[in-house]
Amino acid sequence: MTPFTPHRVLLTGVSNPLGAEVARRLAAQVPFLFGCDVVDPVSALEEMDFVHADTRLSVIGKLVRQLKIDTVVHLAVMVDAPRDERSIHETDVIGTMNVLVGCAAPSSSVRRLVVKSSAAVYGASPSDPSFFSEDMTNWDRLASGVTRDLLEMEQLVSEFNLRNERCDVTVLRLGIRVSEDTSLARYLSLPIVPTFAGFDPRLQLLHEEDAAEVIVRSVVGRHPGTYNVAGDGVVLLSQAIGIMGGRPAPLLPPYGRWLSRLAVKTFAGIGMPSHLADIVTYGLVMDCSRLHAEFAWRPAYSSRQTMDALARGKDAEVLEPPSPPQEYELQVYLQQRRRRALAERN
Amino acid sequence: MIAETTRGQRRRQSKKAAIVAPSEGFRLPKPIRRLQRRAPMYALQAVGELSSRLRSLTGRDVIDLNRIMEVVQFVYQQRELARRGPNYLVDDFGFDPEWTESFLIAFKALYRDYWRVETTGVEHVPASGRALLVANHAGVLPWDGTMIKTAVFTEHSRPRHVRALVASQFMGMPTLSWFLRRTGQAVGHPDDTRRLLERDELVLVFPEGTRGTGKSFRDRYRLRRFGRGGFVATAIRAQAPIVPVSVVGSEEIYPMLADLRPVARLFGLPYFPVTPFWPWLGPLGMIPLPSKWRIQFHAPIEVSNLQPDDAEDQHLVMALADDVRDVIQRGIYDNLRLRRGVFL
Repeated sequence: MTPFTPHRVLLTGVSNPLGAEVARRLAAQVPFLFGCDVVDPVSALEEMDFVHADTRLSVIGKLVRQLKIDTVVHLAVMVDAPRDERSIHETDVIGTMNVLVGCAAPSSSVRRLVVKSSAAVYGASPSDPSFFSEDMTNWDRLASGVTRDLLEMEQLVSEFNLRNERCDVTVLRLGIRVSEDTSLARYLSLPIVPTFAGFDPRLQLLHEEDAAEVIVRSVVGRHPGTYNVAGDGVVLLSQAIGIMGGRPAPLLPPYGRWLSRLAVKTFAGIGMPSHLADIVTYGLVMDCSRLHAEFAWRPAYSSRQTMDALARGKDAEVLEPPSPPQEYELQVYLQQRRRRALAERN
Repeated sequence: MIAETTRGQRRRQSKKAAIVAPSEGFRLPKPIRRLQRRAPMYALQAVGELSSRLRSLTGRDVIDLNRIMEVVQFVYQQRELARRGPNYLVDDFGFDPEWTESFLIAFKALYRDYWRVETTGVEHVPASGRALLVANHAGVLPWDGTMIKTAVFTEHSRPRHVRALVASQFMGMPTLSWFLRRTGQAVGHPDDTRRLLERDELVLVFPEGTRGTGKSFRDRYRLRRFGRGGFVATAIRAQAPIVPVSVVGSEEIYPMLADLRPVARLFGLPYFPVTPFWPWLGPLGMIPLPSKWRIQFHAPIEVSNLQPDDAEDQHLVMALADDVRDVIQRGIYDNLRLRRGVFL
C-alpha cells in the first residue's frame, strides 16, 4: 500500500486566528485547500477556496462528497469562547457529529481526520496526579460545561475511529494558549490580578505557532491517535502575572467558585469559564512524551517562553495583519479568474 | 543557576527604567544612607565583640555566633528571593529549590534545638540516583516528613532534596497545597511516584497515610497496614532501592486522645484530633511538644534482581511490603530502647 499523502484538504473553522495560520502553512504543502467557516476569514489566502458553511448543518457532508475531500482538519471546536455554554455545546458536539457523519459515508474518500481538542478535556481538580497522560480522561467529572462537551466530542470521534478503519484519526489536545484574545491572556494582563487565595498553580502553555505547526504536521504525516500538545516546563501563576507586569492579589475565596467568577466578570469584565477557574486554582499539566516520541518534534516555545512572548506582544506578529474586506473580495475574484483561465487552457 | 539571565543582563534589558533609576522625592542625606547600609555589619561586629568578651568572662559560649549568622543569612536570603521577581525556574512539579532552601534554616532550628533529632545511618541514602524512602507516619501533622527532609539535607555528605508524596486531599487545601508544591512535594499517586523516580529523585512515601497520623496515643509506635503494597510495585517497576526509615519521637508531639469524626467530616478532614491542648487552647494547642526524636535510615533493600514484570506478582509485592514494615517496626523498637525518655 502506498503511503497516503493528503491531496484535497478541508479545513473547518478557518476564520479563527489559529485556523488562518494553519491554512497559511498548509497552502504550501497540499495541492488543493478548502476552508469553511460561518464568518469570513480575517485575511484572504490565494491558494485556499473559502466556503461559507456551518458545521452544525448537514451541508458539511455534501461539501465533503462534492469536493472529493480526502483529509478533514476539524478546527471548529470552541473551548474558550465569550459566548454562552449552549452555543459551545452546539459547535463542539453537534458540529463535530455533523463533520463525522459527513466523513463516514460508505463511499467516502476521507482517509485522514485531524480533530482539535483541548487540555480542558481533563478538567483540573486537586485529586489528580501532577501530570495528565492521554488515557486519564475522567467521565465522573461533569462539573464544567466545556469539559463535558469535549468529552462527548472525543467520544464521538473515537466511535468514528472504531467504525472507519480506513481513516486515520488524530486528536490533538492542545494546551492552554495565551494569544491576545483568550480569556486567560486578558486575565493575566490585568494590572492587579485577583487570584484564588492560597493557590499558586502550575500553568502549562502552548504557543500559537507551535499549535499551528503540530496541526500541519499531523495533516502531512501519518500520526493516528490522541496526543497531548504543550510547551516544555511549567510557569507558576504568580510568575506569569509577574512577567506580564501585574501584581497578584489573593482576593478570591477558594470555595464557592461561581461567586468569584461572577465577581471577576463584573469588576474586571473578564468572563472566566468554569474550566479556566479550575485551571487557575489547581493547575493543569499534561505529559507530552507521546507527542515527542511519535512526532519526533518538540514545541519550539516552552511555557516560560510563551509567556515572555505574550509579554513582549510578539504574538501579534505571528498572525497576518487583517486586510480589509474589499481586498478579500478582490482576491476571490482574481482566484476565480485564474482558475477559469486554467480550465480553458486544459 | 536558577534564573535564565544574570541580574546585570536583566537590568540592561529591563524596560522598567523607573525601578532601576533612583526614585525621585525625599531621600535621606548620604552619610545616613551609608550608615543604613552598613548597619547590619556594625551590628554583627558588636555582637561578635560581645560574644568574645562574654566568653572570656564566663569561660563558655553564651552567644553562639553561628546561630546569629544563620539568622542574618536567612534575612538576606529572603531579601534576595523577593528581588528575583518572576525570574526563576521551577521544575515540572512546581518545586522551587532556592525558595525551599531559604526556609530550611527554620526547620534546622526545630531539628537541632527543639526535637534534638539524632540521625543514624544517613549514609544508606544514595548520594546519587533514585531511591524510595519508606517511613512510618505519626503525629497529627506531618512534622516527621519535614524532619526526614531536613535530616537528609543537613546530615548527608551530599545534600539532596527529598520529594515526599502527599495525599491528594491536602493538595486541594488553600495555602497548604501551595506550600507543599513549592517545596517539592507531589501527589501520592503511582504515576507521580514513577515520574519522580525516573528523574532520579529521592522519593519519600508514608504507606500508612492518614491511618498512621490519625491513630490515637494508645496505639503509638504500632504500625498500621502498609496500604496495598503499591509503593513496592512502583519501586520494582522503576528499579529503585527501598530505604526503610524509622522515626521515633513523632508520636508524642500531639498525644491524640480522641478523634471527633463528625467534625472532621464537616470540614472535609481525614480526622479531627483532640489532644490535651487542642482545641482547648486554640492556636496554642497546635504547638508540638518537644519530644526527643531519633531517625534511623536502614540499609537499602535492593530490587535490582527483580524484573519489572514482577511488580504484577501480588504475592511477592505483599511479602516485600511486609519485609519493609518489619524492618521499620524493629528499628522503632531499637530506637525506643536507645532513647532515655520521652523528652530527654
